Amino acid sequence: MLDFSAFQDALGLMFTSAGSWGWIVPGLIVGLVFSAIPGVSITMAMAIVLPMSLYMDFFSAIVFLTSVYTGAGYGGSVPAILMNIPGSPSSFATTFDGYAMSKKGQHNEALGYALFASTICGILGYVLLLLVIEPMANIVLRIGPVEMFAVAVWGMLLLGSLGSKYLTRGLLAAAFGILLGTVGMNTAGFVRGTMGIPTLLDGIPPIPAMIGLLAAGQLLTLAGKDYILDAEEAREVSVRKILKGCWGTMKYPGVLIRGSIIGIIIGAVPGVGSSIGNLIAYAETKRTSKDSASFGKGNPKGVIAAESAVASAEGGSMATMLALGIPGGGATAILIAAFMMHNIVPGPSFIENQKPMVYAIILNNIVQALVLLVVGIGFIYVASSVVKVRTRYILPAILVIATLGTYAVTGETAGPITLFVFALLGFALVRYEYPIAAVVVGILLGRMLETEFLRSYQLSGGNPLYIFQRPAAMAIFGVMLISLFMTAWGKRKQAKQEAEEEAAMEALHQQELAGRKS
Amino acid sequence: MRINGHSYTIDYGHLALVGLIGGATLWYLFDARAVSTSINNILLVQPTAIFALLMCLLILPQCFHRVADEMAAPAKAKQDEYDPLMPKLPTERSDVIRMGGLGAALGVFVFALDIVGFDIAIFFFTAASMAICGERRPARLVLYSLAVTICTVYGFRALIPFPMATTIL
Repeated sequence: MLDFSAFQDALGLMFTSAGSWGWIVPGLIVGLVFSAIPGVSITMAMAIVLPMSLYMDFFSAIVFLTSVYTGAGYGGSVPAILMNIPGSPSSFATTFDGYAMSKKGQHNEALGYALFASTICGILGYVLLLLVIEPMANIVLRIGPVEMFAVAVWGMLLLGSLGSKYLTRGLLAAAFGILLGTVGMNTAGFVRGTMGIPTLLDGIPPIPAMIGLLAAGQLLTLAGKDYILDAEEAREVSVRKILKGCWGTMKYPGVLIRGSIIGIIIGAVPGVGSSIGNLIAYAETKRTSKDSASFGKGNPKGVIAAESAVASAEGGSMATMLALGIPGGGATAILIAAFMMHNIVPGPSFIENQKPMVYAIILNNIVQALVLLVVGIGFIYVASSVVKVRTRYILPAILVIATLGTYAVTGETAGPITLFVFALLGFALVRYEYPIAAVVVGILLGRMLETEFLRSYQLSGGNPLYIFQRPAAMAIFGVMLISLFMTAWGKRKQAKQEAEEEAAMEALHQQELAGRKS
Repeated sequence: MRINGHSYTIDYGHLALVGLIGGATLWYLFDARAVSTSINNILLVQPTAIFALLMCLLILPQCFHRVADEMAAPAKAKQDEYDPLMPKLPTERSDVIRMGGLGAALGVFVFALDIVGFDIAIFFFTAASMAICGERRPARLVLYSLAVTICTVYGFRALIPFPMATTIL
């Protein structure tokens, strides 16, 4: 647990290097702005500013880069809420209720909910990291393909939350998405479905496909509108309402804690990251919520759940990086590069020998989360103004930025072409009422699902009883099954109660009628 | 079309979509099996593809609507509230034309990027999409398109490590 002597040294280190605090605000702004551009990932934003950190001392460099990381974690939710385009896959679940709130003219509140959830859960993630960094490293080392497969299946359970009018269409959309996600060369080296196109060897680029599918459903339909939001009063940008949203987040402590725990655990698993954490947190919150029917139609809990998982995943992936020296994803790989540029190798020996420095990094991240609250409100105020601009000006600019963003992902026109092809597919899917979100989830998780399934199969030699040798995987599957059972039981109980209430009301009504007659 | 004394209309668009998804799935399954029937290749792909094909078969009847049901449908449709997970496309003719025009412009834009250069493609796409969305003033069309072109070309050049082929800028 916490080493108090090292903690005191860390506080000393923090205050003696107060100059490095000056890098927090520029780092947050860089992260917020870059990640709000669809297609520009957190990794890319950090890679761009990495050379700048070479000329800083070690602590300042890490403060700057982690500030970019913190800002970028929240920045992606801004286009997700305002325009239904997630800045990165980790903001995908934010679109479900965030955009619905925007359509109702509650974009200020939605951005406030997302910001405060990011701040609180960012802090929560790092506080937990401060306490459990060493035991967590041991847990992460025990995670194998079966556990990863269990996590991917857990992510797929989100499909049950994407209520579609037609069950069969939802299932077809999900299965088709998974198949699209497996195109290209698999882990075993087999190449399928590429049609001889070399670009497809790595699979269909998920970000251009995701933007294309969502663009068809939302962006192109804006062509006939004068503004993104129809009602004039809904276009108001109000700090008071943003703060109201921020304050409203406190009403849902359970959602924040659940989202944080899911985010930290998923974020700590190398190669999984926040892109699944937000889907699982959303699905679990919807599944356990009494008002689950209102999810996807502008329920603030949906925004809070998704954003809390994204923010706390940062703490989780930092735990893996600091304790083991293993990058959990692209962003932490850049951080490791920054460590190495200063001749420092993260890992068990770094924690053992430089514990005050590790604590100082974690404490500084807590400060960053607090500063994000102030910088974020300013950023939201500027970014929200997009709803005040006429569609004829904003739509061409968004489409150009989204297209160039997809080019930034692939480095060739395959990205923009993927965007266009999936926009056509998305158009047809929307026209015939297929849930686009199910296709997107399939594309995002298909490759991981296949890879981990294959590895599990190879490890077990095809013996399904192998799972009994993996207690962590059993625990994940167990939690999933209990969660599903509890939901079904809760819904049945609720339906029974409603039926009883209805029967009681009917009996009362009959009694009243009988009383009047006599 | 009449079956068992009932009149049916066929939703050809939906039928084409189900056919496309089913056809693509079948092709992918055959392509994967042609590469290898090793379990390491088809462990996930084969069962998922078979499941998708089964779903296509179950959806197929939904492409045929009984005429009596269709007449009752508009009244029911009015009750449906807005659902962002299931967005609806505009139905007004002018909106559909604008949406189609913008989609077509996007298609031309992405394929023209490498041919005419990013700068020219962005300029013409911005001007065309502004015109589609209702802007008619030539000065604004030219100046705003120019501003978007300059900002995005120079901005993305500074951001991304890949070369962007341009003709003028």
